[in-house]
Amino acid sequence: MNPSIAAVSTTRPAAQMQRFSLSRILIYLFLFGMSAFFLFPLVWMFLSSFKPPTDIAALPLQFDLATFSFANYEAMFRNVPILSGFKNTLIVIILKGSITLLFAPLAAYAFAKLRFRGRQFLFNIVLATLMLPPIVMLIPLLLQMGTLGWVDTFQALVLPGAIGAFYIFLMRQQFADVPDELLDAGRVDGCSSFQLYRLIVLPMMRPALSALAILVFLDVYNDFVWPSLVTNSIDMQTLQVMLSYLYTQINNAAVGTTGSNAWGQVMAASAVATIPLLIVFIVLQRHFIRGIMAGALKG
Amino acid sequence: MHTTLQASPSPPSILNRLRVWLGGSYAPYLYIAPFFILFLAFGFYPLAYAFRLSFTEWRGAGEPIFIGLENYTFLLSNSFFWNSLQNSAVLWLLIVPLQTLMAVFAASLLSRQIWFRSFFRVVFLIPYLVPLVAIAQIWLILFDKNFGAINTILQSIGIEPIGWLTTGSWSKPTMALMVFWKGSGFAVLIMLAAIQNISQEIYESAALDGANGFQQFFRITIPLMRRSIVFFMIISTLGILQMFAEPYVLTQGGPYNSTVTAGFALFRYTRNLDLGTGSANSFLLMIIVVVLSLIMLRMLREKETS
Repeated sequence: MNPSIAAVSTTRPAAQMQRFSLSRILIYLFLFGMSAFFLFPLVWMFLSSFKPPTDIAALPLQFDLATFSFANYEAMFRNVPILSGFKNTLIVIILKGSITLLFAPLAAYAFAKLRFRGRQFLFNIVLATLMLPPIVMLIPLLLQMGTLGWVDTFQALVLPGAIGAFYIFLMRQQFADVPDELLDAGRVDGCSSFQLYRLIVLPMMRPALSALAILVFLDVYNDFVWPSLVTNSIDMQTLQVMLSYLYTQINNAAVGTTGSNAWGQVMAASAVATIPLLIVFIVLQRHFIRGIMAGALKG
Repeated sequence: MHTTLQASPSPPSILNRLRVWLGGSYAPYLYIAPFFILFLAFGFYPLAYAFRLSFTEWRGAGEPIFIGLENYTFLLSNSFFWNSLQNSAVLWLLIVPLQTLMAVFAASLLSRQIWFRSFFRVVFLIPYLVPLVAIAQIWLILFDKNFGAINTILQSIGIEPIGWLTTGSWSKPTMALMVFWKGSGFAVLIMLAAIQNISQEIYESAALDGANGFQQFFRITIPLMRRSIVFFMIISTLGILQMFAEPYVLTQGGPYNSTVTAGFALFRYTRNLDLGTGSANSFLLMIIVVVLSLIMLRMLREKETS
């Protein structure tokens, strides 16, 4: 700030400089104000998770290092099988992620770079499915899972919504950048369309693929509406589903721990569910932003 | 994959002619087949099934009874349905205009050389990553009427406790604040991408002509970002219409149905096992969503050409 103002002040009258720095102050007030608004709930969650349960309700704004304890976390891990929730989420991420990463780019490649009859028509169908509100399918899909006997199974958690049309759309936009000359050269050398894909397209499109991977990871990790409808037993619940039933589970596990007495454990569980995302975000920040930007096209 | 077949000198069979007609290879169809198989099984089939159900009375057991358009006429004459659309409209007003303006403004600041720029960029984006269920739990506790931190702060300056999530007049603003908190970083990111495409020379020449910061913001930044702004408003409008998870985790639609959004309304019928009405509600919502998206896409195209 100082050097730029110094540079400006040599060319501008003093009055203008004054207004300039006043607006600077307002800008920083706005930015720090918004940051406080964004960070406050999270900081409050972390601090509360280390407070004695009764203090969260009695002294919501104070934090005393003398009372710092892991008691909430110990009680939460005892009452809620959260590790099994993590395990289920991980399994769904791996299965759904592999299916999507295997087939969505392949379909996108066909739509972007191969010539075949009905290509435009079929791609329009893919686009049209993007407009269907997912929520419309919820009821009949659930009935269908019942008929198939798939309630409480991984196939019900994984298959509906895998290879989403949106992912194909997204990848097709990216694959359009692959130069046709390169593919033609490969064809002259006798490559089959799958070899072209594996040897030329995929290596070139690594950043797009990692963005896709992050997008799928975020979608699956945070998804809970469908998993909460299609799982009944606690053994099959994903992390987010478990989180949404915390109060009930804490109440069942420890009689008398109701209402605000359970808050400490609820905050501990929320913190445990949030931390992995924050770590991954900070480590892979650049890829993450790319992935989310790609997701910005959704809808 | 199929190129090896070309070597065979056999006369053109029907299969061969089919292959040529298709463009020379079956492979592309193989590549796109997994999507279509999954879509037929878990997209088209349930959709067709729901469409059929929407003309029946069915409570989850026995045979569905065909009742024609009765579910639709019931919904269209039912205040619960209209109320859910109204709730969504109110939420839209509470969230979208303010969020859009905030995002454009923040992005215009974050695209400049300012102190702590990368810090702000990370902080603005963090809420977007926090799982919805986690932030809903935080909201439930922060905004608790009796012991919540927000009311404690307010009480210290002499304001009586407010039933943020327990009174019909406050539940929508409280939920809107949560949606605003979670989605703003995403909005800023879209606007940042757009703003970086605006050439610096425009600002420089405007500054030479004596335009101040506010004039530059309203006369240059906003008009040049119109496309991204319209795009963001389209996706947030569709998102709010279909909003389901937020009321599901925060309020279950209450109090007094004040947070029953259009997306949550159909879930109500399903939970009460009134599957025919729920399906009809789904299709009414789908018609609204499709019509709105077509209108807004047209708006986007017109703006592009103008």
